[in-house]
Amino acid sequence: MNIFKQCKQYFFEDLPFFFSMPAIVWEVIFFCIPIICIVGISFIKNWDVSAFSGITLFHYIKLFQPIYLKIIVRSFLLAIWTSFLCLMFGYPLAYYLACKASQSIRNILLFFLILPLWTNFLTLIYAWYFVLEKHGLINDILLSLGLISAPLVMLHSLFAISIVTFYCYLPFMILPIYVILEKLDRTLVDASQDLGANMRQTFLRIIFPLSIPGVLTGFLLVFVPAFGEFAIPLFIGGDKYMFTGSLIEHYFLIARNSSMGAAVTSLSCLLVLVVTLFLRWSIKKKFSYIEGRK
Amino acid sequence: MKSIHLEFIKKSYNESAIIENLNLTVPSGAFFALLGPSGCGKTTLLRLIAGFEKVEAGRILLGDEDITNLPIHKRKVNTVFQNYALFPHLNVFENVAYSLTIRKIPQDVIKKKVTSIIKAVHLEEHIFKSIRQLSGGQKQRVALARAMVNDPEVLLLDEPLAALDLKLRERMLIELIDLQNILKTTFIYVTHDQFEALTVADYIALMNHDGKIEQIGTPKEIYEFPISTFVAKFIGSTNIFQGTLQLQNNEVRLEVPKLGSFLVMVQEKKKWMLDGVTAFMSLRPEKILLSIGVREGFANRSAGIVESIVYHGRSTQYNIRLKNNFLVQVFEQNEEHFEKEVVDYNDEVQLYWQKENVILLER
Repeated sequence: MNIFKQCKQYFFEDLPFFFSMPAIVWEVIFFCIPIICIVGISFIKNWDVSAFSGITLFHYIKLFQPIYLKIIVRSFLLAIWTSFLCLMFGYPLAYYLACKASQSIRNILLFFLILPLWTNFLTLIYAWYFVLEKHGLINDILLSLGLISAPLVMLHSLFAISIVTFYCYLPFMILPIYVILEKLDRTLVDASQDLGANMRQTFLRIIFPLSIPGVLTGFLLVFVPAFGEFAIPLFIGGDKYMFTGSLIEHYFLIARNSSMGAAVTSLSCLLVLVVTLFLRWSIKKKFSYIEGRK
Repeated sequence: MKSIHLEFIKKSYNESAIIENLNLTVPSGAFFALLGPSGCGKTTLLRLIAGFEKVEAGRILLGDEDITNLPIHKRKVNTVFQNYALFPHLNVFENVAYSLTIRKIPQDVIKKKVTSIIKAVHLEEHIFKSIRQLSGGQKQRVALARAMVNDPEVLLLDEPLAALDLKLRERMLIELIDLQNILKTTFIYVTHDQFEALTVADYIALMNHDGKIEQIGTPKEIYEFPISTFVAKFIGSTNIFQGTLQLQNNEVRLEVPKLGSFLVMVQEKKKWMLDGVTAFMSLRPEKILLSIGVREGFANRSAGIVESIVYHGRSTQYNIRLKNNFLVQVFEQNEEHFEKEVVDYNDEVQLYWQKENVILLER
């Protein structure tokens, strides 16, 4: 009876911990353990034969050949470029939504911003396919207006891939920045102007620095999935351009070389981790107040 | 330091005017308190002077310069905000230096000015601390230093001490007075706390619920010679009696129903003081002498029953129920120089006061 009472006491003292248990167990079983397995597999000579074939660094060495490096660098650049585009277009919109728009306009715009997220990701990509294709929406309009005489080739280009990636990930940049700006204490803006700063100086010295946590969150929410993006290059880019995602798919599902696939996966994870840590570190150094916020 | 003139100011929210036809002059170099109940528009008035809000009609003058349409950042007026509004990503030094950095003043000059103002508010030890590491009182000083470093013509303070505890508030009030004496800047201090206003201000402007200025004067004028029952009740405690005015053989009396008539001293005769009009008298609790026995030499007397006794430390408050069922407050100083008569619950007591102790009011 006493033990039961004690258990009950522990339970209620640390309620948040107990309620987070299912999620923690889920993460461990379906994320941590698989990642460890993948890293392990990447060091095994040939995972796809039943017998143990020995340990090797061969797959990693192979990855440093120019043909593979090019794919990884291309993915990296696409992710950086998309994040950059999202930031450039997303920040002004987030700023407008949070600071300038009236309540009704804000609600309407937020609704339209979130609307694409209700639709299946693949459906969105297919929709873009029909917009960009040879007899697609854009070409039809331009042709009927007489602006062009022959259909433009837009699909299967890096331009098309980056446009669609940008479109798909834009909300993930806007929303965290919007949340931060919306919560920003307006008296700080008043104070800055009161102390002699005009709106431009106030933005550069107060508003933007204080919104960095949102920018960082948005950047990671765009950068990480865009780096591993595989559906967009497949449908929009055709088989013309290989990206890390398509490379992983190729090794696991087509070439049946799991060890090689695992090596690509591990290296990508490492790269993303390094970028994330670097961003956190560089921003923490400059904006030390972020960490201490409670 | 410069003066502020507000001329025929109008401001409304959601089409209901909260300030209308307001005129106010704040003399240059004064410590001026804007006092009023919550929601009377005093903070709005401050925000109009700072430029955060635009006036709908009227003019704002800083010295001789019309600043009505000047943008916020061009006004030589600085504000100390109620919640301090310190920049969380900057440390104490950077916060204070903000306005100087904006004006692109050379680094060595900035350093000298900031260091000296930080010394003036006693924060030398905390100069490179982050804002999060400061206590409420220290944050208050940073906000003050940040607003002062730019040598504003007028400093606006919006309930700056509201978040501090009583002891700290009393100390900061004294420091504010000292600081104002050194810097000679015009201070406009908004507060709803009559104690703060009485302590710091050279002049007090008391605003009423309609956004109008009820009375302007020195703390003593406002306290001793209120012009209406609103002022008398807002500043300190008072007892208000309603009655009928009687003018007979150079004597002014107020006839209070079911209680009797009381002799009132009138400094100067006003137009409204006619025989038979309804009037009010304000009698401060500390001006009443309370006694069980008979006292000589007082112009007025009334009897009542002690209903409750509240001990305040330095004084004791007696609540006396009069014959007309009116409850009167009386403060007795606990000076204990001589042995006093003991007054207890339900004792029948006499209240005495002089005709000079009463203020006669029209409304």
